[in-house]
Amino acid sequence: MYRSLYTNRRSFIKKMAVLSAMTAAAGMFPGIVFAEEQERGIPTDANLDWKKAPCRFCGVGCGVLVGTENGRAVAVKGDPKSPVNKGLCCVKGYHSIMALYGKDRLTKPLVKKNGTYVETSMEEALDLVASKMKETIADHGKDAVSIYGSGQWTIPDGYVASKLFKGCIGTNNVEANARLCMATAVTGFLTSFGLDEPMGCYEDIDHANTFVLWGNNMAEMHPVLFSRLLDQRLRRGAKIIDFATRTTRTSMAADKSILFNPQTDLAVANAICHEIVNNGWVNTEFVKEHCNFSKGLTQMGYGLEDHYKFTDKPESITFEDYKAFLADYAPEKVARLAGVSVKDIKYLAAHFGDPNKKVMSLWCMGMNQHSRGTWINNLVYNIHLLTGKISSPGNSPFSLTGQPSACGTVREVGTLTHKLPHGVVMNKEHREFAAKIWGVPVENIPAKPTYHTVEMFRALDRGDIRFMWIQVTNPMVTMPKLKRYRDGAKKEGRFIVVSDIYPTPTTDIADVILPSAMWIEREGLYGNSERRTQYFEQMLEPPGEAMSDTWQLVEVAKRLGYEKQFHYGRESHIEEIYNEYRKHHEGKKHNMAPLEVLKSQPGALWPYVDGKSTKWRFNAKYDPACSNGKDFHFYGKKDGKAVIWQRPYEPAAEEPDSEYPFWLGTGRVVEHWHTGSMTRRIPVLHQAMPHSYVELNPGDAKRMQIRTGDKVRLTTRRGKIVLPASVNERGVPAPMQVFVPFFDENMLINDITLDSFCPISKEPDYKKCAVKVEKA
Amino acid sequence: MKRIGIISLFALLFAGFLINWLYSYEKGREGAYISISDAKDPPTILSESAVFERSGFALEYVDMPVDAQHQRTLDDYYKNRAYPGAPPSIPHPVKEKRSMGGKVCLQCHQNGGFVEKFKAYAPVTPHPAMVNCKQCHVEQQTQAYFIDTDFYKKPAPAVGTNNALPGSPPVIPHQLQMRENCLSCHAGPAAVKELRVTHPERINCRQCHVPKEHQFETVERFVRANTMSND
Repeated sequence: MYRSLYTNRRSFIKKMAVLSAMTAAAGMFPGIVFAEEQERGIPTDANLDWKKAPCRFCGVGCGVLVGTENGRAVAVKGDPKSPVNKGLCCVKGYHSIMALYGKDRLTKPLVKKNGTYVETSMEEALDLVASKMKETIADHGKDAVSIYGSGQWTIPDGYVASKLFKGCIGTNNVEANARLCMATAVTGFLTSFGLDEPMGCYEDIDHANTFVLWGNNMAEMHPVLFSRLLDQRLRRGAKIIDFATRTTRTSMAADKSILFNPQTDLAVANAICHEIVNNGWVNTEFVKEHCNFSKGLTQMGYGLEDHYKFTDKPESITFEDYKAFLADYAPEKVARLAGVSVKDIKYLAAHFGDPNKKVMSLWCMGMNQHSRGTWINNLVYNIHLLTGKISSPGNSPFSLTGQPSACGTVREVGTLTHKLPHGVVMNKEHREFAAKIWGVPVENIPAKPTYHTVEMFRALDRGDIRFMWIQVTNPMVTMPKLKRYRDGAKKEGRFIVVSDIYPTPTTDIADVILPSAMWIEREGLYGNSERRTQYFEQMLEPPGEAMSDTWQLVEVAKRLGYEKQFHYGRESHIEEIYNEYRKHHEGKKHNMAPLEVLKSQPGALWPYVDGKSTKWRFNAKYDPACSNGKDFHFYGKKDGKAVIWQRPYEPAAEEPDSEYPFWLGTGRVVEHWHTGSMTRRIPVLHQAMPHSYVELNPGDAKRMQIRTGDKVRLTTRRGKIVLPASVNERGVPAPMQVFVPFFDENMLINDITLDSFCPISKEPDYKKCAVKVEKA
Repeated sequence: MKRIGIISLFALLFAGFLINWLYSYEKGREGAYISISDAKDPPTILSESAVFERSGFALEYVDMPVDAQHQRTLDDYYKNRAYPGAPPSIPHPVKEKRSMGGKVCLQCHQNGGFVEKFKAYAPVTPHPAMVNCKQCHVEQQTQAYFIDTDFYKKPAPAVGTNNALPGSPPVIPHQLQMRENCLSCHAGPAAVKELRVTHPERINCRQCHVPKEHQFETVERFVRANTMSND
């Protein structure tokens, strides 16, 4: 009757041979097939000028080529030369340039006078910002002024901000929104390895046999990397395991989907270690040579109260102590708590334990926005350290990021209260080193960190902070327990400056709004999740008086009297700043690639040593900084050994009870990026995802007689909000859980979320609080 | 002596068997203890999961030549539907009149392939789970009308004009309900040339191609609300 695809075995084998040849060719010229095909869709009369840039949106850092014509950006394609995305983008990337042309683009500075905004010139607005800063410092002290930046800051933006506030003004009131997303990844890396950022790179994907996604809806949030996973599955039969609290597009694509109860990932990770230790899957030689065991304080609290402080006290333990600790985490004991079957726990453990399998763990906000986030990061590193599956191709615990320069700017430049470009403010040598490069007296840099993000907004509410400059971020959508911080920011005697490209809920609270140049309207650099630094040139003129965030800061710094430290030339300042910044990272452990290199290729991975990117850190075969003569050297720690941490399970800050019986989790969707201030102005994306919603489990919805589109009221101890229901659409939460995306400024879910945070990283837990659900 | 030797050999073997048997029985009991909480199957989201169906064939699809001689045209494709998005009628005679369809239809329409009898490639159904085929797809007994109709047949979405930017991925110009599985119509030998995707190996289709129309409602313009209204 009909010919099946597989009936003719010979032709099938032949086809496979042809295909594998094609695959090999595609491997040599990755993505090129795809980009060419895409180009055919472009009208032949198009006389486009294509220039390379990293994508404006997430932390994957795809290389894009932007086509410009007559001074306007008109098309985007994936950069086939970029090893990150090999010519592919996601729907946001392909339409990213449309975010430049929203009708309500801010083009003139606005100053609030008697309750209304009045247009002024940039000169005047910057004068006002500088004089307000001087006034606030004179009246309330240095620690009353602050800057709140972003993982969307370019490297030069963050660098001049840190130099101005820490080096010149002399306050550690420098924070960035990455505190809300990557701070836990940082403390995870620092506690386990002593140095921040992943040891591996995206190339691990091409070698791994199993991908374990820890609470990570990659199909929507990191779609381009996920397509590389799918590709490897298709070509090599790699396995994708989705380990999550909610069923998503990723669960649908995965080979195996395992659901667990919120917060119990801590217990399951320990159960996996229990299996590894008790089944003899420990790579004893690796552990003996390269690992230490430690424990820290427990029952640390949740940071719910103002002025909350916590410092961990690490204590050495033996392997026997650790083994005894794990006895409480036998799969049989964990199963009920976690809602994961013993079989599934053993299945996960078996993938990690199999010495012939290369395993890559991937995670993002599920593990980072976690009231015990540093712990769960440590626990996943434990699994990889116990089995020695780390720092080699395909064996890689990999922490993904959500913003284009969360790594490049916030983590590497160090725009957090305790950080310096190299090292921390608490360390005298680090302060001296930074002060020397900055050309400021070392006494300028205070040795004590001040406020982390949540505490900084609390300080603004209390009145300890009087002046805040917010750049490239939208905290009036993203802060947890938002109402308190919005009310605080609106109080008398607070002065808020906001630099942005569109009106947002954050510009609504501003006293001065500065129009910024966006992305390719200026020159800059981003750093992505795999330590790749990427450069982009200015391709377009910014609209009206819009100015880059870097130059806004430089102009204000000059007005404050720091001409000497900010003597950069208008045309050459990005190059000058980057070259100055590179001095902080000199040496084999963190050397940054020279600007000429970054201009000529789609980025380079640091440490960039002897003209080469370092793909796998801590592995002597690939990393020239290894100096102990062994195969691996975890040189972030003084003894060259990584730490396996004893971290127990502890409950979340607020768990469902009889009054608030549901879990509330928040997150994102593929169409919109973060608070939607850019993507909602892209017609294609708005039409595909016009507003937020609350996802319910179909069983719960049926019981409460709620159908898709019905209004649902969510009430927490912080307040209430009404949202349309979504049943059996994009995602399905587990029974007695609801999920709400946070991109919609007209439905501010963060008004009702909880501001509990990980005591070590101070990063809030947006994934867990208790909520009451009713049909409205 | 010899006999004792043989007996003791067998006795030893039997004892060994017993030990082994008991040991594995005990092990088995341990294993049986495992199911404290039963493994529960995660729910399926049809609109999400169906995208990935047939992805096992994706590499085959990449290498699929267009068989010009037996190819359906775009015209034929739409002629067989009352309006774009309507269930196509059955364009070939059906021998089995009584059955609802089911296996008889799926034989050819589940995975497709060349049908000698009709000299055509069988189109693949995007919803093989729905087996009462003939509740929507009916056989045409005649091409004549009872009475002429004033029904307006909406033109099909044009091909190649659904992108917002030159070269950007086209949006999905049709509804997705019952057509969640992209590859069934956009890849394979039965797919109409104009509708074929050039890159079927990129399985996560909707990471680039998003629906143009929201499924359940008309899309309003994005207007910034007064953000203080939640207070």
